[in-house]
This record gives sequence, C-alpha cells and structure tokens, in this order.
Amino acid sequence: MHLILHKLKEVACSVVPIVLFVLCIHFFTVEIPSTLLIRFLIGAAFIILGLTVFLLGVDIGVVPLGNMTGKLLARSNKLIIVLLSGVLLGFFISIAEPGLMVLSNQIAIVSNGALPSMLILIVVSIGLAILLAVGFIRIFYRLSLSKILIVLYGIIVCLSFFSSSHMLAIAFDASGSTTGILAVPFILSLATGISQLRKDSKSSEMDSFGLVAIASTGAILSVLIMGIVSPFTYESQMMQLTSIDMEFVLLPFINELSNSVSDSLLAILPLSVIFLILQKFFFRLKHRQVRKYLTGFIYAVLGLFLFLMGVNAGFMDVGLYFGQQLVTLDNQWIILWIAFVLGVLTILAEPSVHVLTAQIEEVTSGSIRRVIILIALALGVGIAIVFAILRILIEPLQLWHFLLPGYIMCLLLMKFTPKLFVGIAFDAGGVATGPMTATFIFAFVQGAAQAYGNADMLVDGFGMIALVAMMPIITIELLGVLYKGKGDVK
Amino acid sequence: MNCFEIITFIVGENQGSKVLQKAKKCGVNGGTVIKAVGTVSDHLCQFLSLYDERKEVVIMACNTQVAKLTMNTLSQAFKFHKPNHGIAFSVLACQLIGFENCHTVESEEEKSMYHAIYTIVNRGNAEDVIEAAKAGGSKGGTILNARGSGISETMRLFQLEVEPEKEVVLILSKKDTSNKIIENIRSALKIDEPGNGIIFVQDVVRVEGIYE
Repeated sequence: MHLILHKLKEVACSVVPIVLFVLCIHFFTVEIPSTLLIRFLIGAAFIILGLTVFLLGVDIGVVPLGNMTGKLLARSNKLIIVLLSGVLLGFFISIAEPGLMVLSNQIAIVSNGALPSMLILIVVSIGLAILLAVGFIRIFYRLSLSKILIVLYGIIVCLSFFSSSHMLAIAFDASGSTTGILAVPFILSLATGISQLRKDSKSSEMDSFGLVAIASTGAILSVLIMGIVSPFTYESQMMQLTSIDMEFVLLPFINELSNSVSDSLLAILPLSVIFLILQKFFFRLKHRQVRKYLTGFIYAVLGLFLFLMGVNAGFMDVGLYFGQQLVTLDNQWIILWIAFVLGVLTILAEPSVHVLTAQIEEVTSGSIRRVIILIALALGVGIAIVFAILRILIEPLQLWHFLLPGYIMCLLLMKFTPKLFVGIAFDAGGVATGPMTATFIFAFVQGAAQAYGNADMLVDGFGMIALVAMMPIITIELLGVLYKGKGDVK
Repeated sequence: MNCFEIITFIVGENQGSKVLQKAKKCGVNGGTVIKAVGTVSDHLCQFLSLYDERKEVVIMACNTQVAKLTMNTLSQAFKFHKPNHGIAFSVLACQLIGFENCHTVESEEEKSMYHAIYTIVNRGNAEDVIEAAKAGGSKGGTILNARGSGISETMRLFQLEVEPEKEVVLILSKKDTSNKIIENIRSALKIDEPGNGIIFVQDVVRVEGIYE
C-alpha cells in the first residue's frame, strides 16, 4: 500500500502545479467557461490516477523487460543477432505507435494522397529500426556518442537544405512521435540493461543514455529522405479557428473513450509479443515473475488509458482556449510569460520524463539528483514554448532561425560537457515530446496561431515539437558544464 | 572492550542522504548509500505484484559511543518505532582504516538477540532466497544489486568486459530462528555446490525498528 501511496504522492506533486497555474490564469487573466473548467478538473484527476498506475506498470513490467532483453542481446555475443534484433525490435515498436499513426494520416492528407499513410508508417519505422541497431552497435563496440551524433545531425542539416520547410517540420515531429510513451521506457531500459553488465561502472553510466537520441534521429532522416525522393507540392492551408464544444461536460470523455482504449492497447501490443516470444524461447522465467511482468503490462495499459482520456478530453480544450484568448490580449508579454510557465509545469506531468529521471538516479546511484535534471529540462521546454509563441507573433521569424543555431549550439556544447550529460541531454530531447506536450501545449500554440491569423497549419503547428525536442538538449548540456565546474563529474 | 562498529540503516527511497546528514551531526564522519529493494509482506500488494519496494541502505562506521548516539537519535527522527519506517543495526569491526578522528572508547559489551545473514547469489535468485527464508521464519529481506566473480575470469562480449551479476540478500533474524533460515536457504539454492553462492552471518550488536 505504501508503494502506491508513495507513487500517488509523487505524481500528484507533478500534476497539481499545472492545475493551480491554470486556476490562477482563470481567476486573474482569462476566465474559463465553467464547462471547460469542470472538464479540466476531471481530466486532472484522470491524469493523476492514470500516471500513477502507468508508472507502477512501467516499474514492474516494462523496465525489467527492457533490461532483460538488453542483457540477452549482449550475451548472444554475435553481431548479426544484435543487428537483426535491433532492427526487428525498432520496427515493431515504431509501427504500433499511436502517435506515429496520427502523424502519417496528417501527412497523407496534406500531400493529397501522394504519400499514403501506410508508406510513411513503414518508412519511418524502418528509419527508427536501422538507427536503433546503430545505437546497439555503438554501445557494444564502445563508439563515442558525440561523434555519432555529430555525423547524424550533420547529415540531417545537409538534407534539410534540400527540404521544404513543411517537410522539415513533419520530420522533427515524426521523431517526437515515434519515441512514444511506451517506446521510450523500453528503449531506455534496453540500454541500461546492456550497460549494467559492464565491468567498468564509469563508462557503464555513460552508455546507459543516448540510445533514444540515436533512434529518434532515424525518424527525422527517413522522413527527410522520403521528402527528397518523392517531393509533393503543398498548398499552404490557413488554419480555421477550432470551435470548442461547450454543451455537455462529459461529452468529450465519452467521445475519447474508444480512441483511448485502442491507443493504449496498441501501444502495449508489441511489448507483450516481444515478452511472450522471448519468454517461450529464452528467459524461461518462473511463474511468479511472469505474473509480475504481465500485471505490469496491465497496469501500463490501464494507466495509459486513463491518462490519455484525461489529456485528450480534459486538458486539450483548455489549452486551445487559452491560446485563442491570450494571443488577442493587448499586452503581448502576458502570453509569453504564461507560455513559459505552462511549458515548465507541463513537462513535470510528462510520463516519460518520470521514467528518464528515475533511470538517471538509478544508473548514477543517486549522485545526480532527479530534481536538478527536472529543473534544466523544464526550463528548456519553457523557453521552447516562448520561442514557439514568438514565431507566431513575429512573422518573419522562421523555424530554421531557431533550429540551425540551436543544433549548432547542441553540438558545440558536447565538447565542454561531461560525456554522461551528452547522452542524458539528447535522450531528454526525445523524452520531452510526449503525449502531454503533444496535446495540451500543442493545442495552446495552435490556438494562438489560429486566433492571431496568417498562421500556416503545418509549419506553425509542428514546428513547436521540434523546438521542444531541441531546447532541453541545450539546457541539460549547460547543466553538465556547471557540474563539471564543480568537479562532481569527470 | 575497544571496538568500532559498522552501523547499517535500511530506509525508504530518497531518505539515504537525510540519514547521512543527520548522522554527521551525531559525529559520524561519513557513509555510503546503496540502492536496494525491500520486500513487502502485505497480501494485497502481493496480489497486485507490487512486492518490490525501493529502499536505500546506508553504511557508516564509527566508535561505539557515536554509534549508540546516532542509532538512538536517528531511530527517533525517522520514527523507527512505527512499522515500515526503517531498520538500523550495527555489527562489530576490529579495524577502521582511512578514518580521521575516530578514536576507540571503552564500553561494556552488549549482546543483542539478532543475526545479520548475508546471502550472495547469481542475479535472479534473490527472490528464491527470500522465499526460502520466509519459510524458515524470516519476515522479509533487502536485496542489493551487485556484480562480481570468483576466481573465474571476466567474460568479454563484443568490446565490453562483463562480470557476472549478483544479488546480495540481507536478512535480519533472531538468533534462535537464524539456523533454520540458513538451512532453508542452503538447501533451496544448493549453496553447497560450487558456483551457487555463499552465505555469511554476522553477530548484531544492537537493532532498532524490528518487531515480532
């Protein structure tokens, strides 16, 4: 019981701040209609409950499975097995990712069917799969993470010169959505599983991170290449003001029901199949442990379902409403400040962030405290949202005006920050773009773009995800520089 | 008797650093925090498969006088008298090296009724150890992840040097039940065959936070 209460308290501490902040805005700046407010509060309760159950499930089911799978791969001691299983694992995890399905449908629509959604799904999954295998090789052959990242991002920069701005936006969003809510904990724990075997614990710390970072570049690369190989003409579509349904308080929850059920079941499917196959042929665990993992999966599905319900039905409309209302205020400083605080607080409620910070504490035996990483991560996301809003307010500002210098900074800082932090930083970039950011904040930015007018649906909508994926890398690398200054980490 | 003591605190997640801070105020020089997993005996939690509770183990060394003070102060501060708030015990050590300002003091010999049983087994077997110990009358145990190897060489997988993974199980038991627990673990895990693990037992000087 103690365990559940402890988790509940931890989750409540990370969700309550955002609720209080929204209430503050409600009382002092923009009044929210009562239907929306009630939905928001119900949604918050769903999120707290769902996140608690989900994280319990990740703890006892998903993370141990990832650890064991990683060790199994290492023990095989055969390159071909590692490569094949890396590709297979990556492909299955990615192809069943609900976020990626939504994205591929959107691309199919904006390309007027020139790029069918099934093609996109497969291309992105292959990209992720190949890069996941590359990530494995990097750990097994102890290649330097910084060098691999420089090469990968170098290729991305080269490709982006040949790509249109909408393709660029889609590509970065693809990387955000493939590293989804269950894939991230699994990939993270694969890496730590392999690294735990190492004799040298200092380098084992470093190898625990970076796999998510490498895998997520796979999605960017594959989308960019696809856009260059089969270019399509995209007519800029103006955004319409999304109207918010205000009639019945509970209506969106009922509408969301089937979506959330199928999304959460779909997300756990590949992991369950992987577990059952490996259990049958390799693990041969005892009954008690099998039961534990399977219960863990059930918790994960249940928690995910509640969480998605809360976010989609409760939070999204409030985000949209805020965006629409705040951007029309005369004093534009207000929306920038609110955007910053919203970014900082929302990231605290992001499921994968909990998993990443727990992993960091675990791997470093608690010498890097999770609070410190959280602060850096939250500041990064806060700044990213401010940039996203600025880009809407100031028209000449383009996405690459932020992305190019930003990524150059990421790569330069790698020279000055401890190696451990390079891995953590780039992983955090993938982790930050989870379901909370992709719905609540996304709706907020979209609402602002709609109400301000002259905003393009694709470029303005998706660009924000790319910013959220980039800024935490910079802030966490800066944190690493500070750590190095204090001499705590070599 | 001139002696030093090694005190071990087993507390909840993220409390290790607090223990260390408070202990320093009592005169302890420093300590080591290890992440561990404890067992839960609650039936509902067993049913829900939530039986692994994260713990932190803090190990500190000091002389008997400081040890007594630290254990008393901390067991009050962390409410060890309530169930599930933590356990502390100390064992004797004959030498401390690398410590400044740690002088021995004269003290009368104490005897508690407890043994600390350490079982080191290959990764994955710790739960069997705990099960066997429970059958022998133990209330639970704490699992520490570790790695190490005997005289056999380290393996090499790809470019990685790998050592076999181990788990250390720490069980506190009354002296009259400890024999049965040890025998149970010994037979359940076939400890007598080479490569299956080792058991060692320490005499505990003093405990806080255990209930019968």
